[in-house]
Amino acid sequence: MDGALLTLWIMRLAFLALIYLFLIGVVRVLIRDLRAASREPATELGRLIVLASPSGEPAVGAVFALDAVTTIGRDVNNAVVIEDPFASSEHCALTFRGRSWYVEDLASTNGTFLNGSQVGGTAPMSFGDEIQVGEVRLRLERGRR
Amino acid sequence: MSAARQMALPALRWRALRPRARWRESVLLGLLAVTLVVGSASLGATERALAGHPPTFAAADPRALSLYLGMLFAVHLAQVLAGRRTDQVLLPAVGMLGGIGLLLMQRLPQDLVSQQIFGRTLVLGQLQLAWLVLALAVIGGLAVAVRSDRWLRLYKYTWAAAGIALLLLTLILGVDVNGARLSLRLGPLTGQPSELLKVMLVIFLAGYLSENRQLLVEQDTRLGPIRLPPLPYLAPMVAMWATALGIVVIERDLGAALLFFAVFLLLLYVATGRTSAIVLGLILFAVGAVLAYQLVGHVRTRVDIWLDPFADPGGAGYQVVQALHAFARGGIVGTGLGGGLPMVGGRLPIPELHTDFPFAALGEELGLAGILAILGVYLVVIERGLRIAAAAADDFRAILAAGLSLVVGVQAFIIAAGNLKLIPLTGITLPFISYGGSSLLTNAVVVGLLLAISDKGVEPPPPPGSRRRLSPRRLTGLLQRGAGQ
Amino acid sequence: MIGGRPPQAVRRAAGRTVGRNVSRVGITLALAFAALAGGAGYWQVVRSTDLSTSPDDPAVISAVRHVPRGRILDRRGTVLASNKLDANKEPYRSYRDPVMSPVIGYASRQYGMAGLELAYDAQLAGLRRSDPVADMLTKFQAKRYAPQDITLSLSLQLQRAAVRGLGRDQGAVVMLDPRTGEVLALASTPTFNASALANPTTAAATWKALNDDKSDPLLPRATLGRYVPGSVMKIVTAIAAFRSGSITKDTTYEQQPAAEKTGLLVSGYRVRDGHHLFTGDKALDFIEATEVSCNIYFALTGLRTGGAEIDAAARKLGFYAPIPFDLPTAPSQLTNGGGPLPGGFLDRVELANAAYGQAETNVTPLQMALVAAAVANDGVLMKPHLVRSLHGADGTQTVAPETWATVLPFNDAAVIKSAMQRAVEGQYGRLFTTGAKVPGISTAGKTGTAQLGGSGEPNSWFIGFAPVEQPRIAIAVVVAHGGGGGARAAPLGGDLMKLFFDTEANR
Repeated sequence: MDGALLTLWIMRLAFLALIYLFLIGVVRVLIRDLRAASREPATELGRLIVLASPSGEPAVGAVFALDAVTTIGRDVNNAVVIEDPFASSEHCALTFRGRSWYVEDLASTNGTFLNGSQVGGTAPMSFGDEIQVGEVRLRLERGRR
Repeated sequence: MSAARQMALPALRWRALRPRARWRESVLLGLLAVTLVVGSASLGATERALAGHPPTFAAADPRALSLYLGMLFAVHLAQVLAGRRTDQVLLPAVGMLGGIGLLLMQRLPQDLVSQQIFGRTLVLGQLQLAWLVLALAVIGGLAVAVRSDRWLRLYKYTWAAAGIALLLLTLILGVDVNGARLSLRLGPLTGQPSELLKVMLVIFLAGYLSENRQLLVEQDTRLGPIRLPPLPYLAPMVAMWATALGIVVIERDLGAALLFFAVFLLLLYVATGRTSAIVLGLILFAVGAVLAYQLVGHVRTRVDIWLDPFADPGGAGYQVVQALHAFARGGIVGTGLGGGLPMVGGRLPIPELHTDFPFAALGEELGLAGILAILGVYLVVIERGLRIAAAAADDFRAILAAGLSLVVGVQAFIIAAGNLKLIPLTGITLPFISYGGSSLLTNAVVVGLLLAISDKGVEPPPPPGSRRRLSPRRLTGLLQRGAGQ
Repeated sequence: MIGGRPPQAVRRAAGRTVGRNVSRVGITLALAFAALAGGAGYWQVVRSTDLSTSPDDPAVISAVRHVPRGRILDRRGTVLASNKLDANKEPYRSYRDPVMSPVIGYASRQYGMAGLELAYDAQLAGLRRSDPVADMLTKFQAKRYAPQDITLSLSLQLQRAAVRGLGRDQGAVVMLDPRTGEVLALASTPTFNASALANPTTAAATWKALNDDKSDPLLPRATLGRYVPGSVMKIVTAIAAFRSGSITKDTTYEQQPAAEKTGLLVSGYRVRDGHHLFTGDKALDFIEATEVSCNIYFALTGLRTGGAEIDAAARKLGFYAPIPFDLPTAPSQLTNGGGPLPGGFLDRVELANAAYGQAETNVTPLQMALVAAAVANDGVLMKPHLVRSLHGADGTQTVAPETWATVLPFNDAAVIKSAMQRAVEGQYGRLFTTGAKVPGISTAGKTGTAQLGGSGEPNSWFIGFAPVEQPRIAIAVVVAHGGGGGARAAPLGGDLMKLFFDTEANR
């Protein structure tokens, strides 16, 4: 085999090898993702229970599992959708930072109330606290495993 | 009730951009760039060797490749700057497919396609590059800008109607291409609306199925001892789908018809989990297929060629036989880019190579090794799409993501299987690799939407008082809020 | 709100089921792609060689147009098939001598290929390399197609003499070396002009003329022609009898002398024989019966041996199946089969008649040459082959002799050998086989006069070998409608064997 042909074939095989290298890289990312997903404990960080809901949406007694960041409001893209005329489209957000929960009012029209007092900006929350959005009351509870 | 404690916390402003690094994507894109450069060098060296010059390490068309890679990195950068936590594997995978397609289009004789745009004549490789760049822009745009699925979710009937209207328009005004009236001409550009239609139908199906999911899962239509999904609730969906199917069959676009059918059935299963629906669908398909074979001439021809293409290797079976020969010539490692596809009388051995048979061309030039790798990349794209679906926050997004992945995956399967004589040949494109502006743009829309759906949303902010500097972040309007993946 | 139903309550709880469905769909799709991988593997590995070397493949077509085919040479190196350039500088085939046409065949652009040109097309066109590893690596070679030259074991000189000897009659000659199985002559008449067929300017006219020719010159009679054998079949019966032990060399039949005059009664049918004046009323033993070619003796032997044993021996010799050879062959037979008797014979009458080469017996000349060769080589039958070696860019590859079957033990073969020697050299035998003896060399053989039941003169047959102690050449000659065995076939056989020995020294 002469040199010119050899170089040609080396390049061709290198191309094929690199495509496989790329695939291997991708597969490693996929496996890492899968492992991360399966390692995530199925624990919930917290749950939100609807105590009172005059508009019926969400239903009284409905339970929402909470993620690290949960938005609440009238807009359909919120994690918790509240169909209340007194709720803003993006009303407030519950965030889990470090080790505790915080509630943050997102410049809502009628304000967010934590255990009866209005929240300005961000305030810490503990399990058992109630928040009020419009006319809907919700309580933060521990997550179930 | 404890009094709310007003803490002196700096209020986080949620409204501005925060760039975040996407390392995995950048590493994969880097690998991709090296691969395509080597591929281009191999192609260039082979072309020079065939022309009689000594082989040098010159890439086949460095400007085209740099433009393509540049655009890929631009899309990457856009997502980085926008701080989107979208899937990091989709763009590189799609980029790999597009890159291989670009190399193939550069390798083929350029005069297969030419178009006049703004006074300049562009040929095959240049056109494919242009479409790819446009497609990447669409991907980037959708991935960065789409934050809310409201416009998809709420107007599903509008989407379906628009799709049907587009189809009818094609039927009436359309131009004949190779015996199937598929294309619509708009000024200098010709497009295939059936491509866009499939995305519109998927959006519609996702909306309808997610809305009525509970009903479809729990209620039944009883047919003796058999429990079927509730047919009255399926009716509007089936009607919409049947209209689309009918029009497509009239237009003789059998590949699209098969695709619609398969995606419809699979989405129905995804939404309801009821195997009775699948069985019913398959029975209907079998009946329809037999009827079509008996009644429709060109269906019969296609099926006969599929069963034994070697019976008429010079006539009707020519395409398939030549494709199989191409695969055979490839062997395990292929003939190298640029080294295969022996000309017959000055023309390529396989007609419609750049649209219907790129898979066979790649089979010859990259061999079984290359084919398996390409199939692997398609599987990766599908897998990512389905994972995005599985992890989606709600049903609509889940079914939408599943439908979009299936549209790409099932289409790739149909044309690859047709090339390999596993199923009858149909005239649809291989996503991201085939030549075709409408195909590329439509698949770009699919990938862009998938990326948008995959956004993991904002990261939990650091606890107050931590050393990390609190940069403002944008929170509102995210497509997927708070749902972990 | 959308749909009037509370979507949130459904969102989370149902999310998990959707996930499960999605993963099932994912698995289905993965299986579908695995099927694709399997399909690709089938076409790119399993069918790769046969598709990519088939004459419809565009790469092959392009190669054929531009790469000159390998040459074909006879055992002495004389070029029998070579290439010429036409007006467009594209190569076409040219053949030295029409005597070789039935064997070499032709390679014509319009009319395809036949004979060795077809059988060894892949090597001559250079599509396939000599060994599988080189085959796989072809694409890495600078010269993708490396045509190989083929050296045959045929001798042009012998072949020419055979065709000349057959003259205007239809017939065939097969000469082979019983020790190695190499074929030195494979002649068939009438022959045709393959060069005229391969030449693009004369191809069409030649093709038409050949197809219109009633004597069927395109048929290679040595391998594909089938003829009633007559008495040469007695050697096969003898082999079967000795194998099964039903006779020894001293076996005689007491009813045989009387049956010479009245005919042998077998199930109501009389087997007749020509009257052997010389032997009078003596009961013949095996060697004597062979010398005078006594039908009665062999009919009785056939009956005694039985259809099953005869069938088994015949199959061992290669009957009832194509012979493994470089060219296609037609199977020889003793009976059409389907009868109730063992071996497929209809009844004892047929068995008796087949035993001396009539009834439904039908053989190819190559098969009878192999019968002679088996006896000549002390009962060990070698696989016949035409190709001695192939040489190309990868070097030379030689075809080694291969044992095909052991048909007879040494001692029994020796008995049959001496019987056949008597048939040529014995005082009575030589009257039947005039001209078969090679002067100065011990010769053995058997003639046959195959009656064709009213359709003209019988076929004239001769099989033989020489020298008897260590045979170096075996031959089979058939002249269709040639008359008695001694009339045409035996003298031609003797002449050809003599030519062989005369020229052997010059090899």
